[in-house]
Amino acid sequence: MSQAPAPSDAPSNARRLLRQTLTIARRDFVATVFTPTFLLFLFAPLIMLSFGAVGGLGAQSVAQGADEKERIVALAPPASIAALRATDERLRSIFPRDEQPPQLLVRPAPPAPALHARALFDTRETDTAAVLYGPFERPQILYGPMGARASRYLAALAEATLRTERSGGPAALSRPTLSPVARTTTSLGGRNASAFFSVFGIFFLTLLLAGQAVGTMAEERSNKVIEVLAAAVPLESVFLGKLLGMFGVAVLFVLFWGTLVSQVGSLAPAGLGAALSQLSPAIGLPTFVTLFFAYFTMSYMLLGAVFLGVGAQASTMREIQMLSLPITIVQVAMFGWAAAGAGQPDSWTAIAAQVFPLSSPYAMAARAAQSPVLWPHLAALAWQALWVAIVITVAARAFRRGVLQSGTAKFRWPWQKAL
Amino acid sequence: MNEALAISASGLVKRFGERRVVDGIDIAVPRGAVYGVLGPNGAGKTTTLRMLLGIIEPNAGERTLLGYRRPREASDRVGYLPEERGLYPAMKAREAIAFLGALRGLDWRIGRKRADVLLERAGLAHAADSKIRKLSKGMAQLVQLLGSVVHEPELLVLDEPFSGLDPVNQENLERLILAERDRGATILFSTHVMAHAERLCDRLTIIAGGRARFEGTVADARGTLPMRAHYVPHQEGPGIAALLPADAVRQADGWRFTVPEGGAEETLKRLIDAGHGISGLSIERPGLHDAFVRIVGGEEMSA
Repeated sequence: MSQAPAPSDAPSNARRLLRQTLTIARRDFVATVFTPTFLLFLFAPLIMLSFGAVGGLGAQSVAQGADEKERIVALAPPASIAALRATDERLRSIFPRDEQPPQLLVRPAPPAPALHARALFDTRETDTAAVLYGPFERPQILYGPMGARASRYLAALAEATLRTERSGGPAALSRPTLSPVARTTTSLGGRNASAFFSVFGIFFLTLLLAGQAVGTMAEERSNKVIEVLAAAVPLESVFLGKLLGMFGVAVLFVLFWGTLVSQVGSLAPAGLGAALSQLSPAIGLPTFVTLFFAYFTMSYMLLGAVFLGVGAQASTMREIQMLSLPITIVQVAMFGWAAAGAGQPDSWTAIAAQVFPLSSPYAMAARAAQSPVLWPHLAALAWQALWVAIVITVAARAFRRGVLQSGTAKFRWPWQKAL
Repeated sequence: MNEALAISASGLVKRFGERRVVDGIDIAVPRGAVYGVLGPNGAGKTTTLRMLLGIIEPNAGERTLLGYRRPREASDRVGYLPEERGLYPAMKAREAIAFLGALRGLDWRIGRKRADVLLERAGLAHAADSKIRKLSKGMAQLVQLLGSVVHEPELLVLDEPFSGLDPVNQENLERLILAERDRGATILFSTHVMAHAERLCDRLTIIAGGRARFEGTVADARGTLPMRAHYVPHQEGPGIAALLPADAVRQADGWRFTVPEGGAEETLKRLIDAGHGISGLSIERPGLHDAFVRIVGGEEMSA
C-alpha cells in the first residue's frame, strides 16, 4: 500500500491556506469596491459633513451679525478720553479675538449723563451691551441682558484708566520677562484626552465599518456559492478571507478620509486640529499611531468575526436585520466599559476591560495613551489575535454543523503531517 | 486503497438526525475511468459525493481521494460541479471561471486566458464579458462547469451535470466529459438519466435508499436482466398465445416476451410448425433503464 502523490508538507499547507484566504478576500474586496453602491458608502460622511457645514455657517452668520452691531459705550470727561482709549487697547489685547468685549465707543460726557446713558439702550442702529458714565472714582455702569461681562470690563477699564492717570502717565511700571517652558513629561490632561480619543476613535470606526460583516455570508448562502467555496477551501479560510476583504474596504475608507482631512484642513470638524495638537499619549506619538491602527485592526477583526459568525447562522435577510440592534448594543457596551476605565488604566474596571477580548482593543488603546510600558501591548495583540482565531474556528464549526449539517474532521495542528 | 484507484471508500455512513441518508456505501473509482453514480431522487447520491470530497464528514467509514485520507488536502487537484449551482451574479463569465480556478490554486492570469479558450470552445465566446446575471440558466451552468475544469483537475466530480441543459448542450457536455477523460482525468458523475450513463460510463454503481445495489459495467447491469424478444407473426391466429412463453404480451406491433433460459429456438420452431411464420424478430438485452428500474424497484420491494 503506497501513496501515489507525495503528501503535502506543513509549510506548503500553510501557504495554501494563505492563498485560499487571500483569494476569498480579493473577491470580496473587488466585489464591494467596484460597485456604484460603494461610492455612496465612501461619500456618506460627506453628507454628514455638508449638513454640519450648512448648519454651522448659518449659526455663524447669525452670531456674527449680532456681534458686529454690539457696542459698549463710555461717557467720559473729555480730558480722560485719550487715556481711556489707550487703556482699552492694552486690556483688549489680552483677550483672544473671539472673546474680546464688544467694540468700545468713547463719547464726551453730556450734561445729563444718566438720562443719556439710559437712552443709548433704546437706539435702533446698534445693540448697546453696557454704558459707563460718571467720574472714574465712582463709575456708574448700566448693562443690558447680555452685558454682564461687558459691564465688568467697563469697571476694570475705569479702574485701570484711573490708575494710569494717578501714576502720572501710561509708561509701564513693571518690566515682565516672558519665557516659554515645555513639559518634559506628558500632561495628565493630554494623556486623558488621548485615552478618550483612542477609545472613541476605534469605537467610531468599528461601529461604522464592522457591522458590515454581519451580512457577508448571506450573499453566499442566497446564491448558493457556498457549496463551491466549501468544496474548494476550508470554511475557516472562507470566514477569514471575507473578514479580510471587508477590512480592506474599511482601510480604504479610513485612508481615503484620513488623507482628505489631513490635506484639506477645512474639511475637519471645527476644533479637531486643536484637539489633536493637545494629544500627548504617554507611549509617544509614533508608537501610539501604530498601536492605534493595530488595535483598530484587532477590534475590527474580533467584532467582525463575531458578527460574521452570528450572521452566518441567520438564514434570511430579515434575521440579519434583526441582529443589527443587539450588535450595536454590544459595541456600545464595549465602548462604555473601555471608556469608563480609560482614565485609570490600572483600576479593576480597566484591567477587566483590557483582558476581556471584545473590549480589549479599546481598553488597550487607552492604556497606550496613559502608560509608556510597551510589553503589555505585544501581549494584548497576541491575545486578541488568538481570540480572532478562536472565534473564526468556532464560527466555522457552527456553520459546518448547523448549515452544512456536517460533523467536523478531527482537529489537527497546521504543522502536523498530512495522513 | 491503491494507486490504480482515484477514489476508494468503504462503509460510508451519514445520518441527518435519525435518518440514515447514506447507510454503508463502498465505492472504488479506477483512475482514468468515467464512473457513474446512479440512483433515484433522494437516494443519497449528493451526500455520498459530498462525503467523498470532504465537504461533509461521514459518521462512519473511510475514504481516500487521490491517495489522501483527508480529501480536502487533494482539493487543488479536484474539480467539482455541485448539484445546487451557484456563481456570483455580478461577476463576468471570464472572471467567474478564473475565480473558480483561483480557489483551486490556479493563477488568475492563466485562469482568465484559459477561460477565454474554454468559452470559445463551448460556443460562448460572446459571453466572456457578460455578467452571470445576464446569462440564461443553462449558460451560467456551462460557465460553472468550465470553472470546474479550468485548473485541469485529475479528478472531476459532477453532481447531476445534465439537469437543466437543453439536448444540444447535453451533447456538448458529453463531449466535454469524454475530452476530459482523454486528457487523463478521472470523472465521477451522478445522474438519474440512464441514457447518459449508458453512453459514457466505464463503470457505475446504483444507489437506492442509501445503499449500493449494484456495482459494475453497463454491460454487467444490463446482464442482470434476461434477453427480450420482439416477434411479429406472419399469420396471426387464435392459438398463438399458447405457443409463446407465459409472460408474452401482445402489443400493436407484435408480441414481446422474455427469452426462455434455453434460448428462443424451441419457441420459434413451434411457431413455424403451427404455420404462424416470422415476419419480424429481434432479440436483445434490455437497456440500462430497465436494469435500473428492476434493480432499484426490486430492492425497494424486498426492503
